[in-house]
Amino acid sequence: MKYRLKISEETAALDVSVSAGKQNAEFTIGEKAYSVRYRTIPDHCLHMIVDGKGVNAFVADGGEGKHVFLKGKSFLVRDADQLSSRRAKRRGPDQTPGDVTPPMPSVVVRIMVEEGDLVKKGQGLIVVTAMKMETTLVAPSDGRVKKINTSIDAKVAPGNILVEVEEEENE
Amino acid sequence: MFKKILIANRGDIAVRIMRTCREMGIETVAVYSKADAEAAHVLEADEAVLLGESEPLKSYLNIDRIVDSAEKANAEAIHPGYGFLAENPDFAARCETSGITFIGPSSRVIRDLGNKTVARTMMEKAGVPVIPGMLTATKDASSLCNEAERMGYPVLVKAASGGGGKGMRVVSGKEEMEEACLSAMSEAEKAFGDGSLYLEKCLESPRHVEFQILADQHGNAVHLFERECSIQRRHQKIIEETPSPAMTPSLRNAMGDAAVSVALASGYTNAGTVEFLLDLSGRFYFLEVNTRLQVEHPVTEMTTGIDIVRKQLEIAAGNPLTLKQEDIIQTGHAIECRIYAEDPEANFFPSPGTILVHREPSGPGVRNDCGVHEGFEVPMEYDPILSKLIVTAGTREAARMRMVRALESYVILGIRTTIPFLIDVIKSLEFAKGETCTDFIARHFENWSQNMAGADLARIAYVVDELTAVKRPAAATKEKGWPTPWETLGEWRI
Repeated sequence: MKYRLKISEETAALDVSVSAGKQNAEFTIGEKAYSVRYRTIPDHCLHMIVDGKGVNAFVADGGEGKHVFLKGKSFLVRDADQLSSRRAKRRGPDQTPGDVTPPMPSVVVRIMVEEGDLVKKGQGLIVVTAMKMETTLVAPSDGRVKKINTSIDAKVAPGNILVEVEEEENE
Repeated sequence: MFKKILIANRGDIAVRIMRTCREMGIETVAVYSKADAEAAHVLEADEAVLLGESEPLKSYLNIDRIVDSAEKANAEAIHPGYGFLAENPDFAARCETSGITFIGPSSRVIRDLGNKTVARTMMEKAGVPVIPGMLTATKDASSLCNEAERMGYPVLVKAASGGGGKGMRVVSGKEEMEEACLSAMSEAEKAFGDGSLYLEKCLESPRHVEFQILADQHGNAVHLFERECSIQRRHQKIIEETPSPAMTPSLRNAMGDAAVSVALASGYTNAGTVEFLLDLSGRFYFLEVNTRLQVEHPVTEMTTGIDIVRKQLEIAAGNPLTLKQEDIIQTGHAIECRIYAEDPEANFFPSPGTILVHREPSGPGVRNDCGVHEGFEVPMEYDPILSKLIVTAGTREAARMRMVRALESYVILGIRTTIPFLIDVIKSLEFAKGETCTDFIARHFENWSQNMAGADLARIAYVVDELTAVKRPAAATKEKGWPTPWETLGEWRI
C-alpha cells in the first residue's frame, strides 16, 4: 500500500506492507525503514512497537484529517491525495483569493468598511473576537470591497466568507 | 462554617473551589451559561442554576442574576473565583448589602487597591518601595509626554483601572509616545470605563515575584512565601513556580515583611497576592495587589501543605487565623503550567472547539486542576484556560523533569493547546538555569514552531489507525447471525 501524508506543509510518501492476519507492518518513509507491531487500546490509543521500542499514540478523526498525539506534540496528518482531489472539487468559479474568512470560530464586533470601498493590502476590514481576544482581519490585496456577508454580533467560523475583496484592474 | 455557598465562576477554578467545599461538608451551587450546560463545574456541583445566554454580560458578569440565584438557593456566601466579578467592588458591595458573605476582602479594599495610583500612594506611605513613576493619573496626553521626558525612556504607560495587560504600552522613545497614549486610553476606556493613564519607569528584564498573603478579620496577617511568574505572553503568566530561583533568605524576609505591611496598611482581609518586580540588582518594587485567589495559588499549596481555599472560607466565616508566620514552612519545589486552548504557532490565537480526546497525566507529584472533559465544546466566549498542571518534587530540577514527563503524557486532541510550546520552554537551557524574566518568551521563543521530530511516527500512527479502524464500525454495528438481505443484495440504487 502507498500513502502520501501531509503534516503542515510537508508531504511524505509511505510504502506499507502489512502481514496478513497479523498486527505488524513494514514501513518505508523516504530512506528510512520501520518495523512496526501494533495493537489498539480502545478508544483512541494505539500501542505501537517501532523497531523494538514502545510508543503510545492517540488518534482522533478531525474534519480535515487525523489528529495524532505523540509525547506532548499533536500533529494534524492529512492524506495529500484526498486533499488535492477535494480541493479541486471545492474550488468553484466564485471563490477568489480576495475572500476574507476568520481563523477561528468567533463573533463579529466591528465592520470597518462598506461595500464599494477601496482598500489597501493589509488594511483592517473586520474585527472578530474569541475568548476575550480581538483579532483584525485584513484585506489580502489592494482592491474594492465587493460584498460584505456578515453583520455585527454574527457568529462566524473558518470557511465563512465575511468580506469579498475584488482586485482592481489597470491601477 | 457555611452550609452552602454559590460559586460565581466556571471552569477549572469553580471545580477546584467545589473540591475543598466537598471536603469541608459545604454544599455547592454552580451557576452557568447556555454554552456551559455540560461544563465540568456544572457536573461537579450539588446544584446548578442557569444564568442566561452565553455572553459574559448576560451570565457570569450579571450581578443581579447571580445574587438573586444565591438568595433563592439559600447560599450564605459567594466565592467569586478569579476573573469575571472577582475584583469588582460593586459586586462585593452588592453582596454586603444583600447579607451574603463575599469570600474576599471588603468592597472598600477592592476599590482602593483596584485603583493603581491610590494603591501606589498607600504603599509609599507604608514604606513599601514602589516603581518610580506618577502618583496621579490623567487623560491629558501632552502632560504624559512631558512626564515621560522628565523620567527618561523607556517608560510604561498603564491604565489607572487596568489589569491583564489592557491599556498598557511599553514606549521606548518620544516619537511613539503620543500614539501609544491615545490607543492605550481608548483601550482602557473600553475595557474598564476609565481611560485615565499614568506612567511608570520601565525596568530592564525584571522578574515578576509575588507573595501570597492571608489576613483575617481580627488583625492577623501572614505570608505564604513567594511565587515567581516571569514567564508571560501578552502580559499574562503561563508558567509559575515557587521558590523563585532568584530568592535569597534575606530578600525573602524583606519582601515577605513588605507584603504583610501592604495587607495591614490597606485593611486587607482574606487571601490576596502582593505583586512585585525584582530588578537585576535585587531591588524590589511594589506592582499591585490582586484582591482574590490567583490562578497560580496551587504551587503555594503544594509546597506549604496549606489549602488556600479552605483558609478563604474560614476567614470569611469570621474564624481567626491560627497560623503563625514561624509555623509556615516551605518544602520542595513546585511548578505550574497553564494549559490554554490557543495555537502557539499562530501568535497564540484562541482555539475553541470540541475536545475529542482528553487524558490527564497522573503519577507521583502531579496535580491537574482541570475545567474540561472529553467531548466538551470549549466555548469561544470565555478565557481560553483549560487546566492548570502542577508538579512538585524535592528540587527545582526534579520538578522540571517531572513537568516535562507530565506534559508529554497530557493528551488533548481536537483543539490546539499550548502543551508542545510549554514542553520546549520547560526543557530549554535558559529555563533550566532559572534565568527567567518578563521578556523571556519574546527573547527566546519569538516565532516558535513545533519541530518535526516525531512526524514519521505520526504518519505511521495515521496508517495504523486506518488499518485497525476498518474493524471499528463493523464491530460496533454488525450483529452476529445470518446476513440480512441488505448485506447480500450487492450494489443497488433507488
